[in-house]
Amino acid sequence: MASNPQWRLHQPRALLAERLFVAGAWIAGSMGFLLPVAIIGYLLVNGIGVLSWEFISAPPRGYPLGLHGGILPAIQGSLAVTMVALGVAFPLAVASAIYLAEYAEHPRFVAIMQFLAECLAAVPALLFGVLGYGLLVVQFGLGISALAGGLTLAMMMYPVILIGSHAALQSVDRSLRESALAMGVSRAYVIRRALLPRAWPGIIAATVLAGSHAVGSAVPVLFTAAVVQTRSAPSLDSPVMTLPTHLFYLVSEAVSFEHAYGTAFVLLVCLLFANTCALVLRRRLRMRGE
Amino acid sequence: MAQVMAQDVRQLSRMTLDPLMWTASLAALLLGVSTLFLIIIYVLYQASGLIGEISLGAFLFSEAWVPLAEPPRLGIMHAWMSTLYVTAISLLVAVPLGVGIALFTAELAPPAARAVLQPCLEVLAGIPSVVYGFFGFVTLVVWFEAWFDMTTGVSILAAGLIVAITVTPFIASTATEALDAVSAGDREAGLSLGVTRFYTIRRIVLPRAMPGIFAGVVLGFARAIGETLAALMLIGNSVAIPGSVLDRGQTLTGLVATELGEAAVGTPKYHALFAASAVLMVLILLINVGILLAKKRLLRHGF
Repeated sequence: MASNPQWRLHQPRALLAERLFVAGAWIAGSMGFLLPVAIIGYLLVNGIGVLSWEFISAPPRGYPLGLHGGILPAIQGSLAVTMVALGVAFPLAVASAIYLAEYAEHPRFVAIMQFLAECLAAVPALLFGVLGYGLLVVQFGLGISALAGGLTLAMMMYPVILIGSHAALQSVDRSLRESALAMGVSRAYVIRRALLPRAWPGIIAATVLAGSHAVGSAVPVLFTAAVVQTRSAPSLDSPVMTLPTHLFYLVSEAVSFEHAYGTAFVLLVCLLFANTCALVLRRRLRMRGE
Repeated sequence: MAQVMAQDVRQLSRMTLDPLMWTASLAALLLGVSTLFLIIIYVLYQASGLIGEISLGAFLFSEAWVPLAEPPRLGIMHAWMSTLYVTAISLLVAVPLGVGIALFTAELAPPAARAVLQPCLEVLAGIPSVVYGFFGFVTLVVWFEAWFDMTTGVSILAAGLIVAITVTPFIASTATEALDAVSAGDREAGLSLGVTRFYTIRRIVLPRAMPGIFAGVVLGFARAIGETLAALMLIGNSVAIPGSVLDRGQTLTGLVATELGEAAVGTPKYHALFAASAVLMVLILLINVGILLAKKRLLRHGF
């Protein structure tokens, strides 16, 4: 390298290339900063004007539907399917992570399970929707319902919570676990009293991320849970409106861009809030780990 | 047993709670992970209903998509061509941008800039697909109508550009990881020879980080072909075979998302939509399995 003197610091050609590189990298870096700020800012600025008490507390009205009124049933529906999904996926995923981190004895088994979980996490949302529709809605006869949508989202959340919780459990200091076990208490006791209290910020952070991902995801609920309009409060066996599918309907049928801005605003504010919480939790976990 | 109980109550909990937790947590793990096989088997099973209706070659390469014709014509060539166009455009934009962001983050950024940039990219990755679609609809589509004198701005190009934004944070974070893994010693050895920072990065850092960056790009590719709503809302949903990037089109994902809810269960069209999903699934799983298996080898190169 040094035998190639034209790349030395004082050579004009080398300096030019260096300056171009630095300029290019700074441009890319500022794009990475400006893109999210511009997109979020644009949607929030346009959305905040639409927001009113009526918008978040009334059902949609008008013809075509959604031209007037609000998005209350969509907020309720999104909450309902997400709660069903969390109720199913959270206990399953945390229990699975506990098995992998504490009980599993063969490293090879752990590696295979991790591999399968990562494959599952890579499956696109559409395929979960296709499975949920074909299997849950049609073959199991659940119909288009909050239950079918919640179960579909649960399948999608499971690997995310599993991978995050497993990492959180593993990050707990090895010696803590060993000294506890050396005192002769059971594994279950160690998990409950020593490991979970230290791993919970990481577990909650992974769950919040998986949950916010699911709240924003329209495709899996599009065929399994969502309808354009509901009159009643959400129940497990009836279809629901959700925020992302309502936004999709408002835009694709060109009903009302004004209300689409409002819906996007509500959705984004919820997600940003959840993501910030997850970020703070993860920071705290990392600090404790160091 | 009586002895044990006399000794210690904790001992009892070991006898009862541990086997219970062991069994329950193993059952949860096996149940959860089995959804992967459930998806694979179910989608392939439903897709197999198409066998006998149409040959694989015609399904993929020659037939048009006219499900209402008698007999129905069920080819998905227009869909995978649109997917290919959208993915190519998105990678053309996202790879330079993502790798540029990674080079900035890993090599140049002052710590404060790095601390700001990383949450920014996480926010970008956290925006839902449907919101991206809406954003593209009120910005890109409107601009295209003005710039290219189009009657509607929905096009493959608009979809590709928005999908590019959705995959950029992925490529950027994987590439940053790969660059960070190159040891500071190698870097300093280059700089100590008196060459420029650019030359050090080009000849020492990049070759070592290349396998990791490559993995990030391939995973970005898999995400781009799986992207559904953002593309669906901007591409115009036309079943004609696209001729240029300003034409309308319909991605594989968009085809399934548009038609599945309306297809009568058990008809050839229903099975054809599962077959289209199967094509997507096989492609994405092969890519991910390949990268996951190669990951160790790809990363070892960096150390």
